[in-house]
Amino acid sequence: MSDYAVSLLVRIGVEAFVALSAYLLLVIGRVSFGQQAFFVIGGYAAGIATALYGAPLAVGIMVGAVAAGVAGALLSAVMAPVGGIYFAAGSLAFGELVRVALLSFHYQVPVGADLTGPAGADGFRGVRALFTGGVSATAFMLAVAGLVALTFLAIALLLRSRWGEAMRMVGEDETASASLGVRVRRVAALTMAGAGALAGLGGGLFVHYATYMEPGHSDVMLGVHSLAYAFIGGLGTPLGPIIGVALDIGLLESFRFLAGYRMIVFGGLVMGLLVVRPRGLLDEVAVHRLSRLVAWGRR
Amino acid sequence: MLAIEGLSKHFGGVQAVHRVDLQVRGNEILGLIGPNGSGKSTIVNVVTGVFPPTEGRVRLRDRDITGWQPHRVLAAGMGRTFQSIRLFGGLTVWQNLWVAQKAKSWLAVDRASMKKIEATLEFCRLRDKKDELARNLGFGEQRRLELARVLAAEPDLLLLDEPAAGMNAAEIEDLRDRILALKQRGKTVVLIEHHMELVMGIAERVAVLNFGVKIAEGPPAAVQDDERVREAYLGHRR
Repeated sequence: MSDYAVSLLVRIGVEAFVALSAYLLLVIGRVSFGQQAFFVIGGYAAGIATALYGAPLAVGIMVGAVAAGVAGALLSAVMAPVGGIYFAAGSLAFGELVRVALLSFHYQVPVGADLTGPAGADGFRGVRALFTGGVSATAFMLAVAGLVALTFLAIALLLRSRWGEAMRMVGEDETASASLGVRVRRVAALTMAGAGALAGLGGGLFVHYATYMEPGHSDVMLGVHSLAYAFIGGLGTPLGPIIGVALDIGLLESFRFLAGYRMIVFGGLVMGLLVVRPRGLLDEVAVHRLSRLVAWGRR
Repeated sequence: MLAIEGLSKHFGGVQAVHRVDLQVRGNEILGLIGPNGSGKSTIVNVVTGVFPPTEGRVRLRDRDITGWQPHRVLAAGMGRTFQSIRLFGGLTVWQNLWVAQKAKSWLAVDRASMKKIEATLEFCRLRDKKDELARNLGFGEQRRLELARVLAAEPDLLLLDEPAAGMNAAEIEDLRDRILALKQRGKTVVLIEHHMELVMGIAERVAVLNFGVKIAEGPPAAVQDDERVREAYLGHRR
C-alpha cells in the first residue's frame, strides 16, 4: 500500500473519532462546535505521557482519552443542563478557549539533550513514540482501523441498550423523557464525558502519527466538519459519521481534479443533503427499514 | 393520595395558577376541567416537576414532593401524559415503552419486563404495531401509545392531560373503557379534559378551574349545576 493511501486511511480513522464524538452528542440533541478541543486535549495529554514521561504508546493514548473524558465531564458540570443554541454557542466558546489557552501553554522538560513539550504557539513537537517503538505506518493504520471498528461496535451496542434508548429520548424531547423517568442531566453529563474521551482518543492517535500537534489543530473547522460528517452519513447509526468522513477525506480530498474546490463541493453536499435528507443518508427511518429487511431475510 | 396545597405558579406577571387546593383520593377518577388557559396544564406541569411552584406544596402519599425532578416524581408513583402528543418518533413502539418501565438492567432486557411490556401493549391494543416507528402510527394509535408509555412505568396515580383531544366518538368510547379498566386495576386517575361528556360520564368528582383559581369542586351533577361554572364555561345565560 502506498504511503499516501496509508496516511489517508489514518486521517480517516483519526477524524472518525471526532465525528463519532460529535455524533454521540447529536444523539442526545446537542450540537457541538467544540469537539476539536477534546481532540487537542487528548493529543497533548497523550504526547506528554509518552514523550515527556516515557509511557508506552498504548498507555499514552489511553491517558489522552481519559484526560479528554475528564475535560468533558468537567465541562458538563456547566453545560449538561443547557440545550439548543446555548449548547452550540457554549461549545464553540470552549473550543476557542482551549485553542487560545494552548497558545500560551509552555511545559517543556529536558528529554535527552533537548527540551521537549508544548511550547505555546510553536506547538508540541517531537512526539516520537510510534517511531522509536518501531511500529510501522501500516501496522499503525491497521490498529487505528481496528479501534474505529471497536468503537463503532461499542456505540452500536450502547444505542441498542436501554441506556441508548434513553439517550435518543433525551435527544428527541427532554421534558417528555424526564417525565418517563430518564435522568436527563446524568445522561447528558455522561455522554459529554464519553464524547470527550472519543475525540481525545483520536487526538492521541493523531499526535503520535504526525509526531506533533499545535494549537491550530483546535481550529473550529475540525468541529464543524465532524458535525457535518454525521449529517452527511446519517444520524440513524454510528456508521453514518464514519461514512461521512470516508466520503469527505476519501473521495473529495483524494481526487486531484477537485483540488481547490473541495470545500465548495463539500459545502454543497451538506446543504443539498440538509434539504433532501435532513438527518443524513442513513437516517432513523432508513436504518429501521434496513433492520427489518435483515430480520425478514433471516426468516 | 395526592394533596395540592395553596399551589401558585406565576410566569412573570401572569398568574397561571393561584392558590389552588386540591385533594385526590386513592382509586378515584377526578375530573379537572376549565376553559382554555385556566391553568389545568400548568398544574400538571408543576405537580410533576416540570416547573417549580411559585408557592404551595405538593404531597404524594404523605411525602412532600414539591419541586422534585420529573424522574423522581415518576419513581414516587405519579405519571403523566402530554396534552400535545410527545412521542419519540424515531423509536419503535416497543422502545417507547422500554425505557419508561422499571427494569433493573440498563443494558439488557429481562424476561419479566418483556412480559410486562407485552401486557401493556395488549391493554392499549398496540401489540401488532410494536416494531413500527412511533412516527408512522395513526393519530389514535399515537394517543394510545402515549398512554401505554406512561403505564409501562407502573405509576399508581395518572395525570392524563386531555387524552381525548382530536379523537372521534368511537375512539373516545374506547378511551373511556380503558380509563375505567385502569380504575378497576386500582389506579387513581386525574382526567384533565375538555370533552364534557367523557368527564361527566366517568369522573366521581370534578374540580373546575377558571383564570388559575378553583371555582368549584364536587360530584359531576352538582358541578354542572353550579352557577359560577356555567358562567365560566358557557358564558352568561341570556
